[in-house]
Amino acid sequence: MSEVQTVLGEGAVQIELDETFYPKDAIYGAAYVFIDRCYVHLDRAGDKRVRVTLRAKSGASLDSQALAGELENELLCQAWRLSIAAENRQLIESITARALGGAAGPPGLDELLAMDIDEASAFDDPLGIAMSWEEKYKKKGAEPEDAASGAAPAEAAAEPSGAASAEPAAEKST
Amino acid sequence: MEIRFHEELYDGAAIDEAAALYGSYATLAVTREPGGWIVKIEAQDGGADAQVIAAELANYALGRSIERSRAVSPAGAAPDAAKEAA
Repeated sequence: MSEVQTVLGEGAVQIELDETFYPKDAIYGAAYVFIDRCYVHLDRAGDKRVRVTLRAKSGASLDSQALAGELENELLCQAWRLSIAAENRQLIESITARALGGAAGPPGLDELLAMDIDEASAFDDPLGIAMSWEEKYKKKGAEPEDAASGAAPAEAAAEPSGAASAEPAAEKST
Repeated sequence: MEIRFHEELYDGAAIDEAAALYGSYATLAVTREPGGWIVKIEAQDGGADAQVIAAELANYALGRSIERSRAVSPAGAAPDAAKEAA
């Protein structure tokens, strides 16, 4: 038997569906779309088969063929959406969990007290908060200069006085 | 007239809600049968047509059944997870 069987009547459409192709949630989703335009009734038409009946609401005209086509399209759309949702369920859950975790804000006092902090981890500084500004932001590759400049001040401190004392002496001698 | 709701497709609580809502427009009797519920509808004198009330009641019951099923198992959720959540 085909998965969809359509019976067009006067002012009504009956469609029989195979639940193996169109899960119940997809049938529900499609039926819900038509609730504002038609009277919708669901019934069992056999094992794993569901009969959807659409009837025009009073005063409204009904193009039964168009309505049947629209319902079939909607069923396909709903079934596809369900399949996508099922495939991406883990991803959606993980993103939602992260978003909610982020929105929870920083830990409270009770959570901080409950944290397991021992001597080994107490002084861990992964973000470099305890480092000095110079240590944290020193230029890369500036180490040799710093090393040279580190040694230089002592020499420089010694030199100027020597040079200063030597030059005038030289000047004096000339 | 009477209208039948299959237990695998309709929620009992949704049918009760619908019957309570439309009870003031017609005389209703809800009976539990094997495999579903049957709602007997008798129009009141000078009131709305029984067929219209039956159709409106069925629409309301279906809408509530769908909403209730979504509240228990969001679309795409595994049936096992829905059972655990319930």
